[in-house]
Amino acid sequence: MALLEVNGIIKRFGGLVAVDDLSLSLDKGQILGLIGPNGAGKTTAFNMISGFYKPDEGEVYFEGKKLNGLRPDQICKLGLSRTFQVVKPFPQLSVRDNVMVGAYNRTNKRMQARHKALEIIEFLGMQDLSEATAGSLSVAYRKRLEVAKALATDPKIILLDEAMAGLRPTETDEMIELVRQISQRGIALLLVEHVMRVIMSLADRIVVIHHGEKIAEGEPKQIVKNKAVIDAYLGEVEIDVKG
Amino acid sequence: MTTDTRAAKSNGSFHNWLKDIFLDWDRTQMMISIFLLGLLALAPLFIDSTYYLGIIILTTIYAFIGISWNIVAGFSGQLLIAHIIFLAIGAYTTIVLFNNFLISPWVGILIAGLVAALCGVVVAFITLRYGLKVDYFALFTIALMVALRTLFLKWKYVGGAVGMWFRLTDPSFDKMIFADKPPYLYIGIGLVLIGLLIQYRIYRSKMGKYFLAIREDDDAASALGVNTSLYKALAVIIGAAMAGVGGGFYVMYVTFIEPPQVFNLGLNVEIVMAGPIIGGLGSLAGPVVGALLNKPFAEIMRGLLAGGRSGSSLIVYGSFLILTIMFMPRGVTGVLHTIYRRIINRFYPEETGDS
Repeated sequence: MALLEVNGIIKRFGGLVAVDDLSLSLDKGQILGLIGPNGAGKTTAFNMISGFYKPDEGEVYFEGKKLNGLRPDQICKLGLSRTFQVVKPFPQLSVRDNVMVGAYNRTNKRMQARHKALEIIEFLGMQDLSEATAGSLSVAYRKRLEVAKALATDPKIILLDEAMAGLRPTETDEMIELVRQISQRGIALLLVEHVMRVIMSLADRIVVIHHGEKIAEGEPKQIVKNKAVIDAYLGEVEIDVKG
Repeated sequence: MTTDTRAAKSNGSFHNWLKDIFLDWDRTQMMISIFLLGLLALAPLFIDSTYYLGIIILTTIYAFIGISWNIVAGFSGQLLIAHIIFLAIGAYTTIVLFNNFLISPWVGILIAGLVAALCGVVVAFITLRYGLKVDYFALFTIALMVALRTLFLKWKYVGGAVGMWFRLTDPSFDKMIFADKPPYLYIGIGLVLIGLLIQYRIYRSKMGKYFLAIREDDDAASALGVNTSLYKALAVIIGAAMAGVGGGFYVMYVTFIEPPQVFNLGLNVEIVMAGPIIGGLGSLAGPVVGALLNKPFAEIMRGLLAGGRSGSSLIVYGSFLILTIMFMPRGVTGVLHTIYRRIINRFYPEETGDS
C-alpha cells in the first residue's frame, strides 16, 4: 500500500478544469516530483491533497485512510504537512515561535515544543536567527522557515510547493542538500518545482501535468526524453535560453 | 565566614531570580503591570477625594475589560469591535440575580461570566457557521449590539428604557456593598491581577501560540495542525467570560444600568478598545499601561472641557487616540520594548531577552 494514493482527482473553477483526472502515488521515503508549466494545476492539486480545496471528483488516501472532507489541520495531524508557494511566515513572531506552532502539533507541553523547535532550527542552520522576527528574514530564510515549520509537525510526508523558487544558485544547492537530509530521515516528499535542475537531481520519479492533465510519468531520465513533455514544458526552456 | 558565603549565595540566587524575570520580556511586562497596580493600591493613602478614587476604581475595571479584549483582538486577531455586549450582559445578569433572586454579587459575577461565555458561544457559532471574516465579523458585532440595545429597551423584566437601580441595602461584605471607596479599589485590583495571570498563562501556552498564529495567518496555522475554528471560538468565549465578570463588578460599582449606557459604541471605544490600543494591542502590559493613561486622560478632558460646547472633550479624546495610533502603532509597550532591547543588548549582550 502506498503512503499517499491520489485517484483521479478533478477540480473545476467555473468552466475551467484546473486539475483533470490526476492520479499519483508516493511510497515511504520516496521523492516524487510534480512538474508542469505555469498554470498547469500543480498548486491546485496540492491544495486538494492537503485539504484546502475539496476535489470535485476522485479520492485522496493517506495510509489507506480517505482524506476527502477532512480539514487541513486534521490532515496535518495524520502526518501530511505542506509548505506554501507564497511563503506564509507568522511575521510578528520570532523564528522559534513560528516553528513552535508546528511543534505543538504533537505535544501540549511548552518545553517539549520549544525543545523540538530548537532542534529543527539547528537542523536547518538557523540557530542564530531563532530570536529574529520572521518578518525580518530574507527570502532564502523565509523559504527555509517554511520547511522548518512543516518539519516540526512531525510528518510522514511533506508537500513542498516551490521551495526553491527565487533562490540564488548557492542557496538552491543548500536547499537541495536539506531536502536530501529530510528524505534520509525517512520522510517522503512531494515536490512541486520549476527549477528543472532541482527536480532532476532529487526526484525518484516525476509526474508531469499540463492543462491539469497528467501527460507523463517516470524516472527523470525517461522524462527528459519524453516527446510530450518536451513539447509542453521543456520546449519553453529552450526558447527561454535562445531568447 | 560561613555567614558571608551564605549571604553571597542568597545574594547570588536573588540576582538569578531578578535575571530570570528581567531577561524575559514577557515576565518583565508582568512586573510592569503589577508595579503599576501596586501604585494604584497605595492611592487611598494619599488621596481622600472620592472623585479621584472613583476614577482609579474605574481604571481597574477598564484594565480588566482591556485584558479580556486583548485576548480576543490582540492575541487571536479577531475584530470583535462591540465587545461591550458581553460587559452589558454580565452587568444585567449580576443586577437581576441580586435584585430579583437575592444572589450575592460574589456569586452573581461568576454566573455573569458564565452567561456572557454562553453568549460568546452563540457569537462564535454564528461567525464560524457563516464564515464571517475580519470586517464582516466587526460589522456583525456592531449590528448585534444595536439589536440587543433595542431588545433591552423593550424588555420590561430588566427595566426596559428606565434601566435598573441596584437595590441598595446596608453596606455589607456579602453583598459587595461598601460605605467607602477603598474596598472597591482592592476588589478591582484583585480582578486585574487574576486577569493578568490568566492572560499570561494563555500567552505562554499552546493555546496562546495558536491564537497568535491565527492572527498572523490562519491558512498557515491550519496547515500546521491548528483547528482554527475551535481556537477562534475559544478566544471569543474566554474574552466574553472575562468581560461578563468585569461587567458584573462594573454594575456593582456604578449601581445603575440602562441600555443606552452600556450598548453604546462611545463607551465601547473608551472602556474596551482605547486602553489596549494605547498600551499596545497584543502585548502583555498593554491593557494595564493603557488603562492608566486612558481613563485619567478621558476624565481630565471631561473635567476641563465640561463647561465648553458639549462633545468638545470627545473631539480632544478622539484626536489623542488617532495621534497615538499614528505615532505609536505598537502602543506604549512597543516603545518600552525597544528601550528594553537596547538596555539588554548593552548590559547582557549574551542574553536574548526572551525565553
